[in-house]
Amino acid sequence: MTNTFYSLTWTDVFASLVLVLVSIALLKWWKIGLEKTLLIGTLRTFVQLTAMGYVLTYFFAQRRWYFMVGLVALMILIASYEGYRRQRSRVRIPRYFAIITGVLFVTVAAVLGTVLQFILHVQPWYYPYAMIPIAGMIIGNALNTASLTVNRFVGELEHRESEIELYLSLGAPPRVAVQDALRESIKAALLPTVNSMMMVGLVQLPGVMTGQILSGIDPIIAVRYQIMIMYMWVTASTMTNILVLALVYRQFFTPRQQLRRELLHHR
Amino acid sequence: MSAPALFDLEHVGYDPVLRDLSLRIFPGEHWVIMGPSGAGKSTCLRLFNGLLSPTGGRLTFHGSPLETMDPPVLRQKVGMLFQEAVMLQGTVEENLCLPLRWRPDSARYTRRRIIDYLHLVELDASLLGVPARTLSGGEKQRVALARILLNDPEVLLLDEPTASLDPPLARKILRLVHRLQREFKLTVIRVSHHPELARDFADHVCFIQAGRILEAGPISRLDQPVAPDLREFLEQSRS
Ligand SMILES: Nc1ncnc2c1ncn2[C@@H]1O[C@H](COP(=O)(O)OP(=O)(O)O)[C@@H](O)[C@H]1O
Ligand SMILES: [Mg+2]
Repeated sequence: MTNTFYSLTWTDVFASLVLVLVSIALLKWWKIGLEKTLLIGTLRTFVQLTAMGYVLTYFFAQRRWYFMVGLVALMILIASYEGYRRQRSRVRIPRYFAIITGVLFVTVAAVLGTVLQFILHVQPWYYPYAMIPIAGMIIGNALNTASLTVNRFVGELEHRESEIELYLSLGAPPRVAVQDALRESIKAALLPTVNSMMMVGLVQLPGVMTGQILSGIDPIIAVRYQIMIMYMWVTASTMTNILVLALVYRQFFTPRQQLRRELLHHR
Repeated sequence: MSAPALFDLEHVGYDPVLRDLSLRIFPGEHWVIMGPSGAGKSTCLRLFNGLLSPTGGRLTFHGSPLETMDPPVLRQKVGMLFQEAVMLQGTVEENLCLPLRWRPDSARYTRRRIIDYLHLVELDASLLGVPARTLSGGEKQRVALARILLNDPEVLLLDEPTASLDPPLARKILRLVHRLQREFKLTVIRVSHHPELARDFADHVCFIQAGRILEAGPISRLDQPVAPDLREFLEQSRS
């Protein structure tokens, strides 16, 4: 048996629209009222990914390090804005956009640098076929986990306000006063990633691996990549969570180590 | 020359809640801060231990401006008992030893000393292993008091600690506070919107309304109130 590489044409992609039509029909039948949103999502998936494909083709053709770094920087900025928008609670965190942007830059530089240099030994280091998709995975995962952890942290602050003031009133530094809130938030945000490490391969094959196998790559090689990706994810998540919260919690205290209650009560 | 004031407030303000507070509190006094709900009493109390900083005026402790002091040091010396005694997840012992989480000081938290302080607040040593959140309101207040006293404070701030307790129990806690005050030579600053209980053991009174001091001085001021608002406040609550 030889490996067959099933290439997908645009016609094939349009054929896959039938799948979406089925779900739209189902939603309409039960009068759920989500059809319009799903339709928009379907269109955006198509438009965004197609655009991304052309952008990538263009950038990949450039073979200049600053093009790749620029693209990664752009991805980080878009992700930060998305993360900023997702901070839905009534509590406004001062300097939040700057914090996630900064943290994403640091995390991506550290994790991406390690992966390209010491694990994949990519030559040259900005080789786009490695750098861009890996950067995308790190950023996407870091962003999701940062949103989770920050939203949870703000919730914990609201609900532990009197506990935090108790700590402060006994002479505790702010870091100790929020320790329980920090721990709960980081645990909650990391749990999905850790759980996916427990379950991976048992029920469902991860998307990346599926894609590789579909395009004809030996499953053992695909598996090696997937293992590395999982390890990379959990590291990026942990780093992001800790760095983001280290900066976010400080926003809720004054230099005189007072809880800024007015932020929580949005007067 | 008089003895130095413990707290000296000169035209202290906290925008927009408190305005132009001037007050001198001397060591060993027992002040009760009275006033209607929303007057700014809790805000005022928070200024004393640096949970809030004044936005205007001058506030000193032992003669030095509060903003020059290290907040944790100030807060150890000026303990605060909140309206609802906050108990953390864990046993009574863990709650009493809370400061060990940031100030490893095993000499201060020996078993012997913890039990002594539990006895001081009239609780039994058998409570040590009990989950603190299962205690009654009165017991929680006592544990919270012991927790503050283990810090060796000079001042005790009490923000309506008895508001959620029934009057006989509230009196008991106030009597306990009074005993502890004499035993540890504490200065007490207590907030109360309950004129009946307010007088108990207090020697000074400060009446605040809408963020301003309308009356401040010896507790006997309550007998012949000058400020019409204070007179009204006392009459209203008597009926
Ligand atoms: N930081 C703040 N900014 C504006 N208003 C505040 C602030 N803190 C408290 N307040 C308001 O000030 C008033 C006094 O509050 P508080 O000191 O708790 O009153 P009391 O303890 O006398 O009932 C309340 O109306 C409260 O909502
Ligand atoms: Mg109050």
